[in-house]
Amino acid sequence: MTAAIIFGLLIALMLTGMPVSIALGLTVLTFLFTMTQVPIEAVALKLFTGIEKFEIMAIPFFILAGNFLTHGGVARRMIRFATSMVGHWHGGLGLGAVLACALFAAVSGSSPATVVAVGSILLPAMVKQGFPKQFGAGVITTSGALGILIPPSLVMVIYAVATSTSVGQLFMAGVIPGLTLAFLLGVTTWYRARKFGYPRLPKAPWRERLRALRDSAWGLALVLIVIGGIYAGLFTPTEAAAMSAVYAFIVAVFIYRDLPLSRVPRVLLDSASMSAMILYIITNAVLFSFLMTSEQIPQAMAQWLLDQGVGPLMFLLLVNLLLLLAGNVMEPSSIILITAPLLFPVAMKLGIDPIHFGIILTVNCEIGMCHPPVGLNLYVASGIAKMGITELTVAVWPWLLTMLAFLVLVTYWPPLSLWLPRALGMMS
Amino acid sequence: MKVLDRLEEWLIGSLMAAATLIIFVAVVHRYLSGLAIPGMQDALLAVDLSWAQELCIYLFVWMAKFGAAYGVRTGIHVGVDVLINRLDERWRRKFVLFGLGAGALFTGIVGTLGAILVAGLVRTQQVSADLGLQMWLVYLAVPLGSYLMSFRFLQVGWRFFRTGELPKHEVAHVEGLAP
Repeated sequence: MTAAIIFGLLIALMLTGMPVSIALGLTVLTFLFTMTQVPIEAVALKLFTGIEKFEIMAIPFFILAGNFLTHGGVARRMIRFATSMVGHWHGGLGLGAVLACALFAAVSGSSPATVVAVGSILLPAMVKQGFPKQFGAGVITTSGALGILIPPSLVMVIYAVATSTSVGQLFMAGVIPGLTLAFLLGVTTWYRARKFGYPRLPKAPWRERLRALRDSAWGLALVLIVIGGIYAGLFTPTEAAAMSAVYAFIVAVFIYRDLPLSRVPRVLLDSASMSAMILYIITNAVLFSFLMTSEQIPQAMAQWLLDQGVGPLMFLLLVNLLLLLAGNVMEPSSIILITAPLLFPVAMKLGIDPIHFGIILTVNCEIGMCHPPVGLNLYVASGIAKMGITELTVAVWPWLLTMLAFLVLVTYWPPLSLWLPRALGMMS
Repeated sequence: MKVLDRLEEWLIGSLMAAATLIIFVAVVHRYLSGLAIPGMQDALLAVDLSWAQELCIYLFVWMAKFGAAYGVRTGIHVGVDVLINRLDERWRRKFVLFGLGAGALFTGIVGTLGAILVAGLVRTQQVSADLGLQMWLVYLAVPLGSYLMSFRFLQVGWRFFRTGELPKHEVAHVEGLAP
């Protein structure tokens, strides 16, 4: 009963279009003022101490690092490297786009920004070469979301914060699924390009490949610094994030010289306001999860599901459906922060591995970015490609189906995620 | 008003830069002081940077509170607007104003709770673990930031009421794309 009131209120408030953070906060306050005896001081303290953890501070640092490298110049270097490596196979520039999106998304950390950056450079080039526009738009809309799964991933840090799991383990668990998905999207592109006889590029000589690699390596090293640094125990995840921010600053300003020093304050301001927005949702989500715990809602839900005879398989299916639905109306960080406190305890009770569960949620967020009717990537891509949402919906379906098949694979085959962190001795 | 806007932007940008530098210096210091370079090692070991993490957290608490207020002005706090965007203009207007009003109300309440908390901390004279900072000074960000945010919600609401314009945050701005 209590659960129904809490969620009813939350959903009603969210549907009015107010910011997600405000809807969460108001739900909790309304509930506390009217229905319980929890002293308001205890709640007030939660509201202020919600973000005082060093682990959470990885979020602003990663955002800053990504923003330094979210630049057309960086995108051009990644594209040059990607097309020189895979452009001579079937799919040509399309295949190059998948790889370039994966690389740029990993470094910039933002799906919509990847769609914009890679899309505005490669889409006109593809059309000029004779690819149908639908093909190009479909590739870029879906591949743009790859960054969420490839570390450093903001969504994973947020999951780690919401469930007290290890950022390092999650990052490592994301590596193989991330590469697998990039590979599968590449296969889909290759297959369709071969079937329809789309143009290929001449094979690039190794000298050109090496030069392109050397040029893009400065940006790509960011990923290695983060993963390597955490794995080798050189830094904590938050320290790794701060180091990568400083590194990204040096690369953008002094090595690539994309970013004049006079623009740095702007990047700082944009990163700060983006971080503050996420931290504000976190503050209110902490409050919300405190309310759920004190009302014992996750426990009640787990018990109810067990009584209904819902096993782990069924539960994961329900989770996937719920999250894909949520992906339509919310952005990834809000989805994780609202659903994790509720679903995580249930998943634990059903014996699902916490890291594996995190990867499942992350993949869902990734698909949510680009599936119709209202994925964020679709909107951004429709602006770039100058195509309507309906037309784009038709254009993305081969890659979207690939992603959904991949989701089933990730969900029901835990070793895909868990093998690497286990093999590296990061988890038991 | 212009002065307040600039001050707000300058404050959160600087806090971001300061926090990054502090953690960077602390990590570099930790590794350099592990190197056995005569003279330098002793000098580095004499510097105690154990307070860096705590300071970083407090800088980010301030950044988060004031950044959230700045975000209201720039329209970065998004909600679920698929439903209300399908309503006709008159109803949509009512819902938008309701949402902004709710934002002002919530942040106003939080600001007041924060002010009470700070007042309590002033009495107890509690200090932080590593830095020895007065805790009320740290938490002063909560009432100040929240009241500023409440004010921003009212400001945005008033402008929307008069002109029908809402600040719109561009989700995917990338520089340097023009060839």
